[in-house]
Formats: sequence, structure tokens, C-alpha cells
Amino acid sequence: MALFPLGSNFEGDFVLQLIAIDTENTMDEVAAAAAIHSVNRRVRPRPDCIMRVRKQGATEFFPRDMKVADSGLMPTETIEIIWEKTT
Amino acid sequence: MAVLNRMDWYDLARSTNWTPNYVTEDELFPPDLSGGFGLPQEAWENYDEPYKQTYPEYVKVQREKDAGAYSVKAALERSRIFENADPGWKSVMKAHYGAIARGEYAAASAEARMMRFSKAPGMRNMSTLGCMDEIRHGQMQLYFPHEHVSKDRQMDWAFKAYDTNEWAMIAARHFFDDIMMTRDAISVSIMLTFSFETGFTNMQFLGLAADAAEAGDHTFANLISSIQTDESRHAQIGGPALKVLIENGKKEEAQKRVDVALWGAWKLFSVLTGPIMDYYTPLEHRKQSFKEFMEEWIVAQFERALTDMGLDLPWYWDIFLEDLKDTHHGMHLGSYYWRPTVWWNPAAGITPEERDWLEEKYPGWNDTWGQCWDVFIDNVVDGKMELAYPETLPMVCNMCQLPILGVPGKKWNVKDYPLEYNGRLYHFGSEVDRWCFEQDPERYAGHLSIVDRFLAGMIQPMNLEGALKYMNIAPG
Ligand SMILES: [Fe+2]
Ligand SMILES: [Fe+2]
Repeated sequence: MALFPLGSNFEGDFVLQLIAIDTENTMDEVAAAAAIHSVNRRVRPRPDCIMRVRKQGATEFFPRDMKVADSGLMPTETIEIIWEKTT
Repeated sequence: MAVLNRMDWYDLARSTNWTPNYVTEDELFPPDLSGGFGLPQEAWENYDEPYKQTYPEYVKVQREKDAGAYSVKAALERSRIFENADPGWKSVMKAHYGAIARGEYAAASAEARMMRFSKAPGMRNMSTLGCMDEIRHGQMQLYFPHEHVSKDRQMDWAFKAYDTNEWAMIAARHFFDDIMMTRDAISVSIMLTFSFETGFTNMQFLGLAADAAEAGDHTFANLISSIQTDESRHAQIGGPALKVLIENGKKEEAQKRVDVALWGAWKLFSVLTGPIMDYYTPLEHRKQSFKEFMEEWIVAQFERALTDMGLDLPWYWDIFLEDLKDTHHGMHLGSYYWRPTVWWNPAAGITPEERDWLEEKYPGWNDTWGQCWDVFIDNVVDGKMELAYPETLPMVCNMCQLPILGVPGKKWNVKDYPLEYNGRLYHFGSEVDRWCFEQDPERYAGHLSIVDRFLAGMIQPMNLEGALKYMNIAPG
């Protein structure tokens, strides 16, 4: 359990934002924490999608239940939060 | 008594180099301050300033300029222009004075370094006058806003801004410290006068003078055109220094300084002047878009100046031209969203008519920047104001100290340009910002951005209230 800062690069938004999460958080929780600062502020919600997290520039998403502590991410590293269609 | 023509004595009188006997040349001109680039004094004696003015001529002309600007101010003091001004115009004045006024004193100090430490006699003469110019600019731009302090407390930022940790001020200080406070005389002449003043102060001062006249603020219009006439003279200090460097095989060093300073200037103007021209200035007073103004006054001018000089266009020229249509829209959206953290009241500038103008000047604006504003507007209309204010900080660039941003909406291209250096992870807003850092990492590595300070626990409590306190903003 430790506070862990990341840079959130949210699909469709215009700016990187600082988010403080916990090393025990899963990637779904990370996406939700990032969404607070983008969705319904400058990005419209997309009910047909879930939010996935990946390292900036990666093609693969992190597994949704992976913990930040196990992700190999560095403090303040930039993650991309990407809409993924559920249908 | 017959008086000699100026040109019969100017060169002789200003050639004040001598051969030191009691000290070495390096003691007389310490390389860290002089920036001799390993060239002997004689090489610098070929420095030929394009603008030759003597002290008596200078005093006479400056006296007239001062009399002109101060008498317009005196005549209009009771005119209630400020009280009746468009709120957008007041924001323009506040942003301008805060970012610029005290910087003029910093510029005076940089000119003084050239005056004392340059090995080029012609440069020493020009920057003696340049130093007095900058003192004049500092004095005027503190005196003129002072009459408005009692009417609007934010006007106090003309004086106060430089002493604060307000984020835009951190960015301005980082840049000005880099190009004028921590450089040798020759580098100052290249980075401050050639790179920054030639194009970009033209931008701020010519562009704003036109806008001020349109807005009916003749005091401000006169003030800044008066300043601009000085700038266009002392901005010419750097050119002949570049010539000396190129003639003596130092083109690469010269080019690098130009490239670093031009980029920093561009970023600063994208946040300061971009929003002013395309969003704050009332629609009916807009002459050109920021991009059009940049292309006409900056791009064309630099392309000519650099080629004339025998320098190359910066390697990032294509990136720069591309960014002209994007960066300042992001800086505006950012400073509007984080509006409690600036010392002026940003105008949103996105009424339907203004959006039509933006779409016309920047095709695709509605599908990109407009997408973010749509959500923003819905929140305001629905009374969800809590969503129209920030609850965290933007990540900022470790070079320009401004938010790391890109195009949103349908053309989403936001990206971080990270770099690990000595075990610390740095973040940059563009490839060019990262390149600037890499040219001299030790110079920049120790600086903490506002986000670094926040994470280091220097901002307490760790919320908006703590951040505002740290930035010396509100209450009051
Ligand atoms: Fe100045
Ligand atoms: Fe100047």
C-alpha cells in the first residue's frame, strides 16, 4: 500500500493530468480514477465502451485486474486510458 | 563652434578596447560572463552594429518618446476607459503587465552584462542604450497600471507576479532565467535580442498595440508602441555577434543557441499571446488570427533573418509550423479550466459567432477543441459547475513548464515525451522541449516543476486551496 502518482493521458482529452492512486489498485480502478478528471469534464461518456489502460506507446493493454505494483510502471509515468468497445 | 558629423567620430570614440597590462584578458573578460567563444578581442572588434546612435542623440529621442506616452496617459486619466473596457481587454492588460513588467528589469540586467563583459566595443555601446531602454520599460509598465490598482486588485500583479510561484510565472521565469539571467554576454545577444526580441516582442507589442487602439485604449496603445521602438533598435544587437561567430567557425554553437531560445519563446507566446488574440480580444476587434499573425510577423521574418545570416532554419521548423495551429488552443483551454490559478479572468471566447470564426481560421476546430468545449458548456448550462473546475494538476513540461497537451477529440494526439536522466523521470511536451533539455541537461535537471514540487510535499495542504496559497493567489 503506497500512494503512487501517474500521468493520465485520456483518449479524447487535451492534456496530461496527475492522478494519485495506490499500488494495490487494479487497472480498472486506475482507469476509473483517471476518468474522474476527464469524463463529463471534457470527454463524453461512452456507455458502449469500457476503459482500458496501457503504457504510453504500447499496443497491448494491461490485464484489467493487474495491480499497479505488478505493472512495472514508474512513478509519474504516463499511461493511456483507451475506450474499448464491449460489443 | 563647428560640430563633427556623428559618423566622423563614432567608430573611433566607441572603439574602447585596449591591451591589458596588469591583468590577463581572461581576468578582464571572464569567459563565463563574456562568452568569448575562445575568440580573441580582435575578432570581436569586427562587430559592426547596424544601428549607430550616440548618447546625446539617444537622450533627445528618448525624452520625446517619454513625453509622448506620459502626456497621453495624463490626458486620458479621467476618461474611464478602464471602467468601461470589455472584460476580455482587462484580462489582456493584466496578463501582459504581470508577465512583462518586471521582466524588463531582468532584461536591463542582461543588457548590463553585455555592456560590461562583451569583448565587442560596438555591442557595449548599443547595450548601454539597451539597458536604459529596459529600465524605462520597467518603470513605465509599473507606473501605468498603478492607476488601476485601486479599481481592480488583480492589477497589482503587474508588480507582484514575478515574486510568486504562480504556474505561468514559473514558466516565464524559467525561460527568462535561461536566456538572459544565466548566460554570457554573447549568448544573451543571440538568445535575448536576436531570438526573442526580433520576432516575438514584435508580436506582443505590435499586435497588442493594434488591438489596444481597436479597443479604444489609447494610453496602452501609445505605451507599447513607444516601447516597441526601443525593442526594434536594441533587438539588433545579436545579429552582428552571430556574424562574428559564423566568420570564425562557430556556426554550430550559434545555431544551437538560436534554436533553444526560439523554441522557448514560441512556447511562452503560445500561452500568453495566443489566447489573447484568438479568444480574449472581442471578435469585432480581431484583425488576424494568432496563426496568421505568427506566419506573417514571425515565420517570414525569421526565415529571412536566419538565411541572411547564414544560419539554418531550426531542425524543428516543420514541427513549429504544424504547432502554430494547435498549441495555443490547448493553452487557452488549460488556462480557462484552471482559471482560479491565473491572475486575470480568462474570457472563454466561445460564443457561437466566435466558434464560427475559429472554425474558419482553424478548419476542424469544432471536431477537436470544440468537442472538449461542448462538454464544458453542457456542464455550465446544467449548473454542474463542480465539473467545470479542476480537481488535480495538469502534468507540466520540465522544459517550458507549461501543461503537456495536444489535440483532443476526433484527432486525439496527446503525448508525453519522457526522459530518464540520473535516475529521475522527466516529462516534456514535445520532442523539441526534450531536445532543448538534452543540449545541456545539468543546466535544467535540478529545477522542480510545479508538479514536482507538489509531489515533493512543498505545496500544503495538497489540494486546490493549498495550491492557490502556494501560488500567492486568492484571497486577495
Ligand atoms: Fe523591453
Ligand atoms: Fe528589450
